[in-house]
Amino acid sequence: MILNMDGTKPIYLQISEWLEREILNGNFESDQKIYSQYQLAEMFTINPATAAKGLTLLVEENILYKKRGLGMFVSNHAKELILNKRKNQILKKLVLDIVLEAERLNVSREELIQMIQDVNVEEAGE
Amino acid sequence: MSLSRISLQEVVKRQYTYKLRAYIQVFMSLVFIQVLGILFSFNGVGMMGTSSNTFDISVHFYSADIVVIFTLLWAFISAILITTQAYRNDDFAFITNRLSSNLSNMLFLLTISLVGGLTALLSSHIMRILMFVLGQSEYLYTPTEVSEWIIGLIATVLYVLLFAAIGYFVGTLVQLHKIFAVLLPVIFFGILILGAGTMNEAIFRNVFEFIFEESSLALFMVKIGVLAALLFSGSALLSNRMEVR
Amino acid sequence: MNIIECRSLTKVYGATKVLNNLSFEIQENKITGLIGRNGAGKTTLLKIIAGYFRETSGEIKIFSERPFNNLLVSANVIYINDQMNFPAALSLKEILDVSSTFYENWNHELSDRLFDYFSFQPTQQYINLSKGMKSTFNMIVGLSARCALTMFDEPTTGMDAAVRKDFYRALLKDYIDYPRTILLSSHHLNEIEDLLEDVLLIKDGKELLHIEVEDLKEWGIGVQGPTTAVKEWIKNREVIHSKNIGLDQMYTVVKNVDSELDKQKSQASGLLITAVSSSDVCVYLTSKTKGGIDDVFIKD
Repeated sequence: MILNMDGTKPIYLQISEWLEREILNGNFESDQKIYSQYQLAEMFTINPATAAKGLTLLVEENILYKKRGLGMFVSNHAKELILNKRKNQILKKLVLDIVLEAERLNVSREELIQMIQDVNVEEAGE
Repeated sequence: MSLSRISLQEVVKRQYTYKLRAYIQVFMSLVFIQVLGILFSFNGVGMMGTSSNTFDISVHFYSADIVVIFTLLWAFISAILITTQAYRNDDFAFITNRLSSNLSNMLFLLTISLVGGLTALLSSHIMRILMFVLGQSEYLYTPTEVSEWIIGLIATVLYVLLFAAIGYFVGTLVQLHKIFAVLLPVIFFGILILGAGTMNEAIFRNVFEFIFEESSLALFMVKIGVLAALLFSGSALLSNRMEVR
Repeated sequence: MNIIECRSLTKVYGATKVLNNLSFEIQENKITGLIGRNGAGKTTLLKIIAGYFRETSGEIKIFSERPFNNLLVSANVIYINDQMNFPAALSLKEILDVSSTFYENWNHELSDRLFDYFSFQPTQQYINLSKGMKSTFNMIVGLSARCALTMFDEPTTGMDAAVRKDFYRALLKDYIDYPRTILLSSHHLNEIEDLLEDVLLIKDGKELLHIEVEDLKEWGIGVQGPTTAVKEWIKNREVIHSKNIGLDQMYTVVKNVDSELDKQKSQASGLLITAVSSSDVCVYLTSKTKGGIDDVFIKD
């Protein structure tokens, strides 16, 4: 994966999001050792301190835990935590954007809800 | 973090070794200049002869003086050359400070003086051999006494060193300020022209005699040594605050 | 531990102050980007650090020692720029040999491998190399010397895109293998910012910003919308860039002090709030006028 290098989104955030995706995809199980800051730095050609910042963010959110001298490991409830976080942060923000945009376009609440119900993921074809 | 610590002595040593390699063109120009000197010397510096009806004697004097003079000029110019910015910057591509750069330059100039002096003297032998082989000479006289030869060698080397030291000083002055590139020749030739026929002449003659007409080898060595040391340390002092690259 | 300590450093040439009361510190084993416009004083600063230039006033300490005429500093600092001067009598391989006799930590394996990878010939002459090849060769010397303080001044001059990428990757990999303090000066912040930990932004010989590169990405925000609304919104804020768009639209960049909620509220009021890339922040901060080149073409 190549990071989004347009220079606007902090890389440590991109790193933590990428690690979260790796965990969600099942590439890392609970209590499994995750990449070190140096592995990440090498993988993405970024400063190791930046990679460390991304890891620390996940430690602060209890998605990872630290074993002294051994590295970072995936927590037991990592997947749940990530999903919750995404629900709370990302989805809420996206919904807010949609609601604001709908207001600007004079789309009523009911219409908007109808639109959401009409979305067919299969047809949209990701 | 462990820093590498390196003594001045060690830096000078490494720089000197490096300069012997990197300044190879100085030695190549020496070969060229001495060959040129030998060719010029074939004219001979003097000749005398006598003849009668039955025999004909001609005595030719050949000497390697021209080779020595060429070598002195070469030392002077080479010394100026290594003070130029390009050479100085080469030093600063690697570990150095101004002192180590100057010290290694002096060692290098001392080395080329030894090589230059020795080869200049040897070239007179080459010349005699060439004269013998190519010329019509029947008899060849060469001063063969070893002590005499060694004195000649020491004197030649010291002269070459003195010229190198003068060149180094001049080069350093020019590096310090470009005005010296104009000023120094003006002063030099000015003195030469004005000096002739005035009372200054005596002073110059004294200076000249003091340096060049010393009959004691030991005193001569001391005089040249002190002069060269003054010129070199003057250059080192002057260039110690110089900015590079 | 601080590798570089700089207090009120000033360098005067004639009537111009190339460095003007510059003060900053650089900690051990960080990669710092030295960013500034041409003539901002980057090269002068680096050359004072390397001990080539003398400071006019102020204090500069490298490994706690004054760099000018200092052998300890010279032995542990390497400064690479595009005007490197190597003796013309030596071939490329010989230059590497000589370098290795000077630098104690010289890594032969690294220099040999890089030499081969970039297809240099041992007998080639430095002066015959193209500009990009020179830069590449300088980079090999700079990396292989493994000096405690390694400085690259515009290291990618003339390199093509592929070699630039290779260089950044080589720099990072060798840094991971052998951590050291690295200063990287460049016009192209966007190219090097991923490698950096900190950014030191200078303008007219003064320090403008010295922050983590990740913070620089969130340093500024762009606001776009109807001119009147934008003007109202930027009241009491320092504008670092502004530009008129169309008849009644305006785009400005200001320092980011808003919370996420503030931003969403502003968005709701019809303003478009965008992130500003770190290289744009640097360009705006170091430009002479708020409108940049456009100011030149204003006709009243």
